[in-house]
Amino acid sequence: MNRCVLINYFMLTLFCSTKEQARSELIQTLNISMELQCSLKKVYAGEIVVNEVNFVRKCIATDTSQYDLWGKLLCTNFKISFITDDPMPLQKFHYKNLLLGEHDVPLTCIEQIVTVNDTKRKQKVLGPNQKLKFNPTELIIYCKDFRIVRFRFDEAGPESAKKVCLAIAHYSQPTDLQLLFAFEYVGEIYHNPAKKVNGIDPGGGASGQQTPLFETYSDWDREIKRTGASEWRVCSVNEGYMISTCLPEYFVVPSSLADQDLKLYSYSFIGRRMPLWSWNHPNGSALVRMANIKDVLQQRRIDQRICNAITRSHPLRSDVYKSDLDKCLPNIQEIQAAHNKLKQLCVDDPFDETEEKWLSSLENTRWLEYIRAFLKHSAELVYMMECKHVSVVLQEEEGRDLSCLAASLIQVMLDPYFRTIVGFQSLIQKEWVMAGYQFLDRCNHLKRSDKESPLFLMFLDCVWQLLEQYPAAFEFSEVYLTILYDSARISLFGTFLFNCPHQRVKESTEFAISKNIQLGDEKGLRFPCVWDWSLQFTSRDRLLFHNPLYVGKSTPSVHNGALRTFKRSKKNYSSTLRGVPPALKNGIIGDQEFLPRRNSLILKLKPEFFHSAEGQSHSMEQYFRDWFAKPVDLHGVILPHLSGTQIKLWKLCYFRWVPEAQINHGGSITAFHRASLLADEVDMLNRSLRQYKSNSSLQGHCSELDQSRMYFRANGLNDTSGTPDFLSSSFPFSPVGNLCRWSILGTPLSKFLSGAKIWLSTETLANED
Amino acid sequence: MASSSTPKYNSNSLENSSSKQTLKDGTNWEQNEEIPRLPGETRVTDKDVIYMCPFNGPVKGRVYITNYRLYLRSVENDPVVILNVPLGVISRIEKMGGASSRGENSYGLDITCKLFFAFVNEEKFSENGWMVYNPMSEYRRQGLPNDRWRVTFINEHYGLCDTYPSLLVVPYNATDDDLKKVAAFRSRNRIPVLSWIHPETQAVIMRCSQPLVGMSGKRNKDDERYLDIIREANGQISKLTIYDARPNVNAVANKATGGGYEGEDAYPNAELSFLDIHNIHVMRESLKKLKDIVYPNVEESHWLSSLESTHWLEHIKLVLTGAIQVADKVSSGRSSVLVHCSDGWDRTAQLTSLAMLMLDSYYRTIQGFEVLVQKEWLSFGHKFASRIGHGDKNHADADRSPIFLQFIDCVWQMSKQFPTAFEFNEQFLITILDHLYSCRFGTFLYNSEFLREKEKVTEKTLSLWSLINSEKSKYTNPFYSKELNRALYPVASMRHLELWVNYYIRWNPRIRQQQPNPVEQRYMELLALRDDYIRRLEELQITNNSKISNSSASSSSPSQMVSQVQTHF
Repeated sequence: MNRCVLINYFMLTLFCSTKEQARSELIQTLNISMELQCSLKKVYAGEIVVNEVNFVRKCIATDTSQYDLWGKLLCTNFKISFITDDPMPLQKFHYKNLLLGEHDVPLTCIEQIVTVNDTKRKQKVLGPNQKLKFNPTELIIYCKDFRIVRFRFDEAGPESAKKVCLAIAHYSQPTDLQLLFAFEYVGEIYHNPAKKVNGIDPGGGASGQQTPLFETYSDWDREIKRTGASEWRVCSVNEGYMISTCLPEYFVVPSSLADQDLKLYSYSFIGRRMPLWSWNHPNGSALVRMANIKDVLQQRRIDQRICNAITRSHPLRSDVYKSDLDKCLPNIQEIQAAHNKLKQLCVDDPFDETEEKWLSSLENTRWLEYIRAFLKHSAELVYMMECKHVSVVLQEEEGRDLSCLAASLIQVMLDPYFRTIVGFQSLIQKEWVMAGYQFLDRCNHLKRSDKESPLFLMFLDCVWQLLEQYPAAFEFSEVYLTILYDSARISLFGTFLFNCPHQRVKESTEFAISKNIQLGDEKGLRFPCVWDWSLQFTSRDRLLFHNPLYVGKSTPSVHNGALRTFKRSKKNYSSTLRGVPPALKNGIIGDQEFLPRRNSLILKLKPEFFHSAEGQSHSMEQYFRDWFAKPVDLHGVILPHLSGTQIKLWKLCYFRWVPEAQINHGGSITAFHRASLLADEVDMLNRSLRQYKSNSSLQGHCSELDQSRMYFRANGLNDTSGTPDFLSSSFPFSPVGNLCRWSILGTPLSKFLSGAKIWLSTETLANED
Repeated sequence: MASSSTPKYNSNSLENSSSKQTLKDGTNWEQNEEIPRLPGETRVTDKDVIYMCPFNGPVKGRVYITNYRLYLRSVENDPVVILNVPLGVISRIEKMGGASSRGENSYGLDITCKLFFAFVNEEKFSENGWMVYNPMSEYRRQGLPNDRWRVTFINEHYGLCDTYPSLLVVPYNATDDDLKKVAAFRSRNRIPVLSWIHPETQAVIMRCSQPLVGMSGKRNKDDERYLDIIREANGQISKLTIYDARPNVNAVANKATGGGYEGEDAYPNAELSFLDIHNIHVMRESLKKLKDIVYPNVEESHWLSSLESTHWLEHIKLVLTGAIQVADKVSSGRSSVLVHCSDGWDRTAQLTSLAMLMLDSYYRTIQGFEVLVQKEWLSFGHKFASRIGHGDKNHADADRSPIFLQFIDCVWQMSKQFPTAFEFNEQFLITILDHLYSCRFGTFLYNSEFLREKEKVTEKTLSLWSLINSEKSKYTNPFYSKELNRALYPVASMRHLELWVNYYIRWNPRIRQQQPNPVEQRYMELLALRDDYIRRLEELQITNNSKISNSSASSSSPSQMVSQVQTHF
């Protein structure tokens, strides 16, 4: 019942004959003052302009001022906005975010604000409610996504410039969660029923497939059925968050545990976070996550009970394998430190100076080492479930940090469903949002927490490594992963705003009361959902999310010239029955062979199963060796290659703003482009073949042919014989104006000559400002 | 590095590609024979041995020695271990006491190697690779000769310079007499000659050796005038740019042995810069360090810093950076450049050929690249025999150096950064490198065109390009999209340079990346799928047309659909 105005606008844009018409209707709806019409499209319900200053210069290139743009700098309660009539120089392409102009920075994306007065040679890092004793001549915004944006105030009114700087500092570092823009926005929507539209639930995306959010009983129940976890049940003891405020209202537990027992045990767990079921392997092994038991006296007994219950839920009554993540993985502080070093290395340090020691510096950040540790540990747990047929319990102090990452990675490796877009989104809902990953603290939206840690980014990076190694196994592209990471920094989506579901309910109910909003039956305010991608991108731009190399469920594929169709057997994953394990196709012993009655192999294997640690590590090594020796089944298990040469830096994500690192007309995107054209053509042919076969009338033919999964289309404008001019290794992003480091001199060409110690001075160096 | 061992189902030995080919052709691999053989390959000996496989431990097997290869096959079948190494590839043989009997045969092997299998190779190919390069037609392709540049036959019998090709392109305004005088002032008579001319700017890339300046700072009026003629040929007013590939200090040090560089006083119209690329000895040591960290075990715990300590990628970076400067000067700077190092056959060849690869899309095709190698490397006297050490007993020879390998590595780096710009794939580059050492083809034998002519290599041996051109599809990059006249500048930054794992670590089954590359494989599948759909659509169309006649005027008829689609490819 709370479809937002924003969507309304897009709908209008779609259905109104002209854009102007849509725009005028929106103006009426939002009643926005005339003076802001120039930036109209960018100001939303609840958004107010706090301060503004004219005649501001935005620095575009680091080395010269000739490309700089003139315009107005605004600070709203949502973003910093720079409005200019000047066209963007040096830039051939930029994807458009519908929420943000190309010069905008959401306040939640700001890391640090530095004001400078170069005549007085002063600079100051601005915190909230601070005073500024000098008139700034320059403002530098350091962003969490590694951008560095610079504005100059040489021609601007000194007082207004100062006010804007202070406003940015103030609004980007709110003292309270309820001061984040999302609340203002949602409040506005609720407050004006006239602005409510259609009443479509803003849950899992407006178009087509819905992403299960796991807020409801039924989502969990479906997941149980999908994975064939017959000995598990959805439990409602936490309805209304009566037991734990950091668990979801519904979660899944062993069928043998009664609600009464659960309530009793819950007191012993940190945060009352009792064991949560994540996923079931087709062979019956379960993946469970659990917080530590704080009650030392009860520890053993409860632990035993829980483990027994998990064992009882396993069809083979297999043992439980416990993995104490705190002991075998880097902790959140270490990950944060690695991330800081990585950022320093990628963007802060001068490009040329870091060249000589680049490899060892990269190693010293330890970022890749941690990526590898997560992948390795997850792969080992995959082995336990897949090969040893045991249920795995991920144990962690609170069970809401490293567990999120490990649980998701294991599932991405084991279950091809989580390598689809909807599946991946549901995984993030299940293992992160609902499981109480503290997005608010870890993303540090309020900028006052020492709990910041980029675990979510690390997860996306791990998935990127798998995507890089198995490019045909994922429905989504690396652009999707990058944009998902960016979306966590936009304070509009409820998805990434809270520490747990209860916090949303509690805070938004308080907010609603204070704003006199009638909530009715709803539990708290509903925020826009990040999975509703139409909020951010046009349907055309969203096609960039699609991986042209993906071998989909029923995508036909050619082997040795013969066509064959990848159709997963109905039993497998997709339905309620437990099916043939995909592992079987890999030649790894699956559960069918495991069943003693059918196959005597079990007798041969069983003794090896629960052997000493030594025997175990040997057979694990054997398992990996065998697995890698065989052709990959893209709809089965995928395991990461872990050697030093195979864990790589995610360049699109970390280098996209670095002009010197940009490969013009090159990068993997050029191959992506070719693959898109081809995949599109294959789709098109397939469709016309189907049309032709079904012998339906030739009407309707056209409309179906218009559908395309691909951004680059065989028949589209981009289909020139060669590589489009605008492609670069940063595509669809652009370094232009996004990374202005301090006083780096050089010519535009210098990026090609990085590291050439003998770079000649024949070229005139442009004067720095 | 020479060892190679993989389970049979994924056999990826050094000779995998070629031997499989012969198998397909049915030329060999007779039923009762234990090993594959090429036509002309004869068995020398065989013996039961234990092979100390670095991955699977000791493996019992039988080793076979032919006049071309060492072949080992394990006795046990699970997994089958196969070691298949052309003798020319073996870089060093050590005699080891105890466990294996390999040592005994090793010295015998070395002698066999000298006979060069290439001269007895009786393989047949549908293409003749010796026809690939014709200097005259290559210069014509560049628009030469023209009114400023002429072809000279002064070196027809290698009288002027025995390490240069017989056919040279020089400024129109320089007489053959001038050339002789200049030759006296250039190390080993390697005078400045044209390598490439920019089709639009008419700026040229010239190559030569160092001037013989010496300690006393000798000058040569003819050389000075000759360089001025080169500059003027482009009608350019600005200075002629000279890129000396060496580090400044090395260039100075060369004066002691009679060499040196173009001084400012003597060449006021030239601007000299040093590109800081180290000499063959430094490169050899760097590769040796690289081998140490990847064999027999890959250094895992500190992989990146170990890699850094070899400096291999740093050298790659400097070579690429130098080539970018050359290319950019000619293209954006519209200025002619002269490139040299000491003798002008190592670093100079790297720089000119890479710059040409960046500027001229022709060299990014399979045939164009073959021409580039023939021209800039083989005809201009890169000393392949000495650098590789073909048939040379002295393994510690200071003349050996992986200069050509480094060049191919640079090409590979470029192809990684521009996955659609090259017609050839990774396998093409690996195949070239494999046969650089294998001695199966005559292509890389001897040090100069003069010697190859003398030994009648083109008559007595086969060209590597015969093998490749007979089966081009295998070496074709499916992502290739033909583009004319786009200069490609790679980013020569450590952030983008990578170790070429599929070459340097390919023998390690644990590290080796998926073969074929999954992106490429998936693309090939899509291509096959497309062709299949088109075929089926056409079939349907034919049957339908016979059923329904004259009613297919609709704009969305499948026939149009198909033809529309086809036009894009």
